[in-house]
Amino acid sequence: MLLLLDILTTAAILFVVSVGLLAIFGVLKIINFAHGAWLTIGAYCAVVSVRLGLNPWAGLPIAFVVGALLGGVAELFIIRPLYRRPLDAILATWGLGIVIGQLITLAFGRDVQLIPNLMSSTVRVLSVDYSVYRLFMLFAALAIGALFALTIEGTRLGLSARAVIMNETLARSLGIDTDRVRLTTFMIGAGLAALAGVLLTPLTSVDPNMGVAWLIGAFMLVMVADTSYLALAAACLIFSGAQVLVSTFVSPVLGGISIAVLAALVLRINPRGFSRA
Amino acid sequence: MTAKLFAASAVSLLLATAAQAADSGPIVIGVPVGLSGANSVVAPSVVQEAQLAVDEINAAGGVLGRKLQLEVADDASGAAGAQKAFDSLIYQKKVDALISMETSAARNAGLPAVGKGRVPYIYTSFYEGHSCNKYMYVDAWVPEQQVPPIVDNFAKDKGAKTYFLIGSDYAFGRGMLGFTRKYVEKTGGKIVGEEYLPMDGADWTPILSKLKDAKPDAIITSTAGGAPNVTLTKQMRAAGIDLPYANLAVDEGTAKSMGADATGIYLSASYVTGIDSPENKKFLDAANKKFGADLKTPNDLSVPEYEAVYLYKLAVEKAGSTDPAKVIEAMPTVSFTGPRGAIIMDKQHHAPLTMYLGQVQSDGAVKVAATFKDVDPGEQCPNLK
Repeated sequence: MLLLLDILTTAAILFVVSVGLLAIFGVLKIINFAHGAWLTIGAYCAVVSVRLGLNPWAGLPIAFVVGALLGGVAELFIIRPLYRRPLDAILATWGLGIVIGQLITLAFGRDVQLIPNLMSSTVRVLSVDYSVYRLFMLFAALAIGALFALTIEGTRLGLSARAVIMNETLARSLGIDTDRVRLTTFMIGAGLAALAGVLLTPLTSVDPNMGVAWLIGAFMLVMVADTSYLALAAACLIFSGAQVLVSTFVSPVLGGISIAVLAALVLRINPRGFSRA
Repeated sequence: MTAKLFAASAVSLLLATAAQAADSGPIVIGVPVGLSGANSVVAPSVVQEAQLAVDEINAAGGVLGRKLQLEVADDASGAAGAQKAFDSLIYQKKVDALISMETSAARNAGLPAVGKGRVPYIYTSFYEGHSCNKYMYVDAWVPEQQVPPIVDNFAKDKGAKTYFLIGSDYAFGRGMLGFTRKYVEKTGGKIVGEEYLPMDGADWTPILSKLKDAKPDAIITSTAGGAPNVTLTKQMRAAGIDLPYANLAVDEGTAKSMGADATGIYLSASYVTGIDSPENKKFLDAANKKFGADLKTPNDLSVPEYEAVYLYKLAVEKAGSTDPAKVIEAMPTVSFTGPRGAIIMDKQHHAPLTMYLGQVQSDGAVKVAATFKDVDPGEQCPNLK
């Protein structure tokens, strides 16, 4: 039971962390290596809102808005000229991530920041005591996933985004303002990353480098999932299952690399990953 | 003719100043330290305390009539950065001594340059023990000094027989817990689990689930300082684990930054701010006066740095010069009474230390639960005299 809960909640955390990266990769076809920095921005939004005396939960909407606005700025000035040069975009976003990390260090110092936990108790699930917050992450992942699905399947923006994913030239010739779709998508992706950063604060230390640890895992998952959020959910479940099982029965050190190894294997066998499987 | 004469005199003047600089210029102390990376949380306090010691010594007239000067270099808390930091301090800045708290990986990477450059080196970080070099002295604790107070206390007061060990996967983590396992088994206890996560790992969930299954009487952890320590403790508390919990890598500053999660953690240290001695009071007053609100809480990593600067000063004075061979010879014979008490590095390049078993209170302060006088570091470097 404990094992099952561990797998489900780990999958939920991975999904929350990587969905913003997927949104950007799906429509813009570039890997946003500054994703880790946006996670960090989100966590520091929580720090600031607590310092301002707001309810810790207020960090969630604040982080989404701040993350999205900063994402918009980054898209306009840094990402936009690089759509035709995806390799340069990797370099630019990686560099942007470093710059943001240093700016946060300048403003807040390198120290670990203290935030009161959003929830800290445990609850009895069947036969085991389990962390309420990890169960809440499961709910958060489902909520974010559902909202994401609604946006993609049920709104004008989602329709345009899907058109851009399928055939951008055709979409533009049909009168879709692809520049605006890209800007909006980047803002949503960045906002989701910042939101994930707030959701991570009760699980991890808040310091200027906190995003880096999560970036590689998210990157691997998105590589495997390609552009589909359903594939991302599946990848999260399978990979977190592998990670938890290897960590529990073999060694946590090997468990830590199981996502990377599995992603490489999947892409070797099927270069399209899970999206057409 | 005049031009030639002028040039010649200029050259001789230059030579004279250079020779003079070597004699009466400042004595330069290199401080390679992890300003970035895993040690970045604690490094600022180490630099502050080094600066405080240097300023105090200079205000009192310096060493052999010369001023002390600090040269700080970032070693990025790791091997690659340490090689660069040590090389630049030893070969370019030509430091007279190195005094620093570093990760074990950084220390091991820097030692070859220390041997080649023949620079006296005082290592001021607690570490896993048994690192031996002719030029290196250590004024901080090793497992033989830190672990027994915890295990003895848990066995006596909590009746603990079974232990679960958790660490970061690196030299310090494995070294500390390796010794803990030996000591627990020697004193009749049992280890029911020993697990490690890579230093950049962020998810301790599977390890915590194993811990719950193993149902130990007590937990002892040894992670990298700062971020991994905070992450592990947060997740452990969120999982509702409330056993006697000793943390071999926590200091008062980190405990404060963990907030409520740190309450109840046991730590074993050679320095806590609550030590009741005139030397500690004087030291804290001086630190508060110098840094005011910017003061990083003095801790078990920064106070040894402060004392090491004084130990180096005494060794240079006894040797009568900064000549490395003479300073190295004088090093184990000088004693300095600082915030932690009288420190003398006369046990195979290590120092007997008074250890304090503390428990973190709900306001983040550390209350001393027991004191262990002059704990011996044991056989660290039997091949060094």
